[in-house]
Amino acid sequence: MNHLVKLPRLASRAFSSSARQLKNKVPESQKIFQEDNGLPVHIKGGTGDVLLYRATMTLTIAGTCYSLYWLLIASFPQKKE
Amino acid sequence: MAHQVHAYHMVDPSPWPLTGAVGALLLTSGLAIWMHFHNMTLLTLGLILLLLTMYQWWRDIVREGTFQGHHTPPVQKGLRYGMILFITSEVFFFLGFFWAFYHSSLAPTPELGGCWPPTGITPLDPFEVPLLNTAVLLASGVTVTWAHHSIMEGHRKEAIQSLTLTILLGFYFTFLQAMEYYEAPFTIADGVYGSTFFVATGFHGLHVIIGSTFLAICLLRQVLYHFTSEHHFGFEAAAWYWHFVDVVWLFLYISIYWWGS
Repeated sequence: MNHLVKLPRLASRAFSSSARQLKNKVPESQKIFQEDNGLPVHIKGGTGDVLLYRATMTLTIAGTCYSLYWLLIASFPQKKE
Repeated sequence: MAHQVHAYHMVDPSPWPLTGAVGALLLTSGLAIWMHFHNMTLLTLGLILLLLTMYQWWRDIVREGTFQGHHTPPVQKGLRYGMILFITSEVFFFLGFFWAFYHSSLAPTPELGGCWPPTGITPLDPFEVPLLNTAVLLASGVTVTWAHHSIMEGHRKEAIQSLTLTILLGFYFTFLQAMEYYEAPFTIADGVYGSTFFVATGFHGLHVIIGSTFLAICLLRQVLYHFTSEHHFGFEAAAWYWHFVDVVWLFLYISIYWWGS
């Protein structure tokens, strides 16, 4: 009977919503993004930000050139087959 | 370090308006190139650039508001005006398609048989799946309001549950509508009936998907403790958008599905 008394406590610990709850990480983020380092917000998060920004800008410039290339092709009369 | 003496937000220089503009350029020119030269590269590039821009721009807004504290009451007021004006522009967008529908259906031409629905069209029964869809969206309007009250009262778990339910109802609507599209006895090519039906309901469906995505981002942010009981404008904007989507459906249901059958 004694070991059964402990069951409700064990059950609530195993299934309680506080058992696997996420910790509030907002204060940590607030510290990172309020640091006085002069960085603009779009790269203030670190290396990942910079890499994603570089990838996006590369696609932007490459895409602009590629659209101008197609504009050149489209402006010439097409050969009828 | 210089401190501002006003409550407004002087935004850091950002590359996202440029990348977004180039993305729009690639999408439009890509569409033209796809149609004329059967090449999808430019279009795909445009889509990727648009997604990258949206992710980074909105990520930065979350950082500016939640992590840097720039969203003071006057700034929030501006954001509210902005969202309301955007939704108003979307109302006008749908107004056009309703105009087209009523133009064709109020005075059906002889080519259609002089009647609406036109001769040969078997419309969907408005009291089957369309009525269920109406119930689903109305219920989701209730659950999103429940979520709002939960957030305002600081009930974290309830907010997560009701917001999740709202999103699931949105997915259910999309699933049901996709099934209807598949089973429909008419297509978009079936004259002006098909055009008005699929363009109006199609754009509505796209807005349901956009709204569900916005709510899903809000769910993630609620789980990550971004919202407080006093300050949760991102969620309010998503809820406003969701109610707009619901209202458009009600007009669609009454006009196209019910009166139009």
